Amino acid sequence: MTRTTLRRIPAYVFLSVAVVLSVFPLYFMAVSATNTSNDVVASKLLPGGHLVENFQTLVSSQPLWSASYHSAVNAIATTVLALILCSIAGYAFEIYHSRAKDSVMAFLLLAIMIPFAATMIPLFRLFADLGMVNSTLAVILPLVATPFLILLFRQASRSFPHEIIEAARLDGLGEVSIFARIYLPTMKPTLAAAGVITFLFSWNNFLWPKVILVDNAYQTLPMLLSNMRAGYVTDYGSLMLAVLIVSVPTMVVFLALQRHFAEGVTGAIK
Amino acid sequence: MSAPTAPTEGRAPDAPPQGTKKSRPTRLPKTPLSAIQRRRSLTGWAFIVPAAFIIVLVNFWPMFEALLLSFQTGRGTQLSWADPLLLNYQRLFQDETFRLTLATTFIYLIIQVPIMLVLAMVLANLLNAPWLKYKGFWRTAIFLPCAVGLVSYSLVFRQMFATDGLANDLLINFGILDDPVNWLGQTGTARMVIILGLLWRWTGYNMIFFLAALQNIDRSTLEAARVDGANGFKTFWYVTMPQLKPIILLCAILSTNGTLQMFDESYNLTNGGPGNTTMTVSHYLYNVSFRNSPNFGYAAAISYAILIIVAVLAAIQMKVGDKRD
Amino acid sequence: MKKTRTLGALGAVLSLSLALAACSGGDDDAASGDGASGSGEGGDNTLTVWAWDPAFNIYALEEAEKVFQADNPDFKLEIVETPWDDVQTKLTTLAQSGETDQLPDIFLMQNNAFQKNVINYPDIFADFADSDVDFSEFPESVVAYSTYEDVNYGVPFDNGTAIGAYRTDILEQAGYTVDDFTDITWDEFLTIGKDVLAKTGKPMLTGQAGSADTIMMMLQSAGASLFDDEGKPTITDNEALLAAIDMYGQMVDAGIYVEVNSWDEYINTIVNSNTAAVVNGIWISGSIQSAPDQSGKWAVTNVPKLDGVDGATNYTANGGSSWAITPNGNEALASDFLNATFAGSTDFYDTILPKSGALANWLPAGESDVYNEPQEFYGGQAIYADVLKFAAEVPSNNTGAYYYEGRDAVSVAITNIMNGTDPAAALEEAQQTVEFAMG
Repeated sequence: MTRTTLRRIPAYVFLSVAVVLSVFPLYFMAVSATNTSNDVVASKLLPGGHLVENFQTLVSSQPLWSASYHSAVNAIATTVLALILCSIAGYAFEIYHSRAKDSVMAFLLLAIMIPFAATMIPLFRLFADLGMVNSTLAVILPLVATPFLILLFRQASRSFPHEIIEAARLDGLGEVSIFARIYLPTMKPTLAAAGVITFLFSWNNFLWPKVILVDNAYQTLPMLLSNMRAGYVTDYGSLMLAVLIVSVPTMVVFLALQRHFAEGVTGAIK
Repeated sequence: MSAPTAPTEGRAPDAPPQGTKKSRPTRLPKTPLSAIQRRRSLTGWAFIVPAAFIIVLVNFWPMFEALLLSFQTGRGTQLSWADPLLLNYQRLFQDETFRLTLATTFIYLIIQVPIMLVLAMVLANLLNAPWLKYKGFWRTAIFLPCAVGLVSYSLVFRQMFATDGLANDLLINFGILDDPVNWLGQTGTARMVIILGLLWRWTGYNMIFFLAALQNIDRSTLEAARVDGANGFKTFWYVTMPQLKPIILLCAILSTNGTLQMFDESYNLTNGGPGNTTMTVSHYLYNVSFRNSPNFGYAAAISYAILIIVAVLAAIQMKVGDKRD
Repeated sequence: MKKTRTLGALGAVLSLSLALAACSGGDDDAASGDGASGSGEGGDNTLTVWAWDPAFNIYALEEAEKVFQADNPDFKLEIVETPWDDVQTKLTTLAQSGETDQLPDIFLMQNNAFQKNVINYPDIFADFADSDVDFSEFPESVVAYSTYEDVNYGVPFDNGTAIGAYRTDILEQAGYTVDDFTDITWDEFLTIGKDVLAKTGKPMLTGQAGSADTIMMMLQSAGASLFDDEGKPTITDNEALLAAIDMYGQMVDAGIYVEVNSWDEYINTIVNSNTAAVVNGIWISGSIQSAPDQSGKWAVTNVPKLDGVDGATNYTANGGSSWAITPNGNEALASDFLNATFAGSTDFYDTILPKSGALANWLPAGESDVYNEPQEFYGGQAIYADVLKFAAEVPSNNTGAYYYEGRDAVSVAITNIMNGTDPAAALEEAQQTVEFAMG
């Protein structure tokens, strides 16, 4: 008994070290949000009493509410659209599988290797020609269909029993109904995993929204952070508070869905 | 560029794992397609088209334009066809900065990706141990860096590794160092800080994938190994590892792709310094486009060089992954 | 029958997704018609401006708007807060994709980047030929940044004139006053600096390693630059550059110039009293004053000059920015607005100076009482009037289209030289890097 316990100690120590390292910057961020700018720059590691002050500075200097609203709208719309488009495509690649569709999938996967800095300007020209500058659709479109999510759903579909589909067809259900009513409800873990990943990237997306949203009225939280560092004098206290506020939603989403997240990834890599 | 867009940009998974095809039930009839089958096939295409159309529109079309651009030369909007047409690609071979940034990127790749994958594997195995308590806590804490904003991450890392920062204080207190090290001011240590940053940010993400794969392993195979008298490590190496191969391959390809397109760490942590020696290729690409006198033809050629290298490495990894079967 | 149903359902899914997108984009589409996007649709009396820094540039814009509204009650500014890096990215994207109708009416541009953008993207600039702006009321060296082929493209605003700011309390410990640092050479600065370091343990200066700021300031103080009049790089055989790098190396070796690794660390050395002096653009004053406990302990004078270099002076600049106008149909209003405020209103500059420390480049502003008011933080010295006097003395600096390439190459060279590379060889390499980038 003691021997096994002893053998487990290094594991717990190792995990503890990993957790401390992982969480330390988070701790610093949280503590800094309560400190003055000069204390943050001096890496003060104890909580201070300036949280309210930092919050007032933040709210008075930056459109926190409006940026939060736009970030939320963009991230939620992106996630919902991405889940619909990619789940149905991933489903089709597997269930209606054919050699031609495999080739199309392989071709689509190439998109992952394209560096964004190279496509940004043609992409902007495209959306500008379509009259979509400043539109939410232009912000979210580049994120809503990604080969990775399609792949995730395709792999997950492999464990979906085909007999059920055949049975549903015999019952006279249409193909879309089979997808929506029978397949999708079983895919909750995969939807959760895909949702977490999409939300994370959409929420933190910076360069593309910055370029396509010419008008300031639509600015998102990452842009707000960038604005706060652009001046001659940066108030690091309220900056760190802003960073904290920006980080919370992604953490909450992950915490809320983490059980499903792991399952979803599992389903996809069987 | 600080949060380069699509899920495809970070470390999002990539090509399909190999070796899964054999489990797929064959649904390709040898006989001519019946009307029902043809209709189903069409339905399948209809399901695929919306996503495929968007991917082509926002990825392939701009990349095609970039291809045309890579054959042009000139500054800003004053572009003309290059003579010879491959001028920009020839330039790559004479560009010392491109060579330096490419070499730096490969150093990150060769050191960081294996360490990260091994670390993620070790953590995943620990978290998968049946006796471990508070699994949710450990898993969450280790994944969280992925959700932290880049600003706080770069600020914290820069301050931790400042000459009078926490890292030096600790190392000196523990007697490991005698004098403070100028971490970000020297090529070797600055690259190390970038690698640490990458490890910090992405190990948890990969761990989740490994953990998921581990939970999927057939328990009976492990029992069989134990009955045969294999010890813990042997069981892991000969029984667990082969079953994890597809996911390891997937993560390796993804991480390779992510590292070759890496921009954030180079831009935010060190801004490429000292003396451009921590700058990545993607950071250089950004500078050629947006910081320097803009040379978009050349920038497009650099982006194709990155694309080709990623594709070649992915192909090699798949090949190696296959051979070990 | 079934087929149509399938397709119908599919259509429903598609339209659902589009509806979702449209619904979230609905308010945006409506609002983008307001002319906020800069195309001037919002009425003839609204101007859109891109600028950064709410405490500084944007505050100044808001005050300028009030000043101009006195005579033009319908006038409105639509200020789009955009950090400099993003201004450059957006300008590049718009110009490169030919979508110049998305440009604002006015934007703020870093002086160092001005010529690069005018040369590469002439289409995004309107000139001031038809305006009443009197450019002779600005220091020549500042106007030069935004002048290309004798045409003016920018109204100077943010003043980048360099100051030597000294901690009088630290100097006193070592037995010096700020007068000992006025009109001196860098050699003298080095000698006194060693003494101050020995007596107080404080270095004279700090700076970001791998940043060429200090070197570039030394270079400009002698009227030298990295390019000749034809725009060819002159990094090798550049007497002033060699002297500047040599001095920089001597100061670092002597420990009176401490290199730190980031901007945050640099600011930290100032607010935490880890340096006896600061040599930088006057805008650094905002950071200096963020440490209230140092009030009354600072004094400002001119900067040291290079020894034995032709044209060396005690005056230089770092940074600064100017307003540009775009050919979007509102040029007349935009230039009238700038002429009546940034290039013509003493009241305006008197208002913004005390609150934001935004110092005029417009020389007539220096005569007002506000500029001559003693500043408590600087021990009662009227630093703003002094700085405007410095500003008039700053030699011009040729930036050109490849300024950033040159500057970055020199930064790399400095890093290598500090690590022991022979200066001549390092500069030769820098020259080749720039020549390659230009090729």
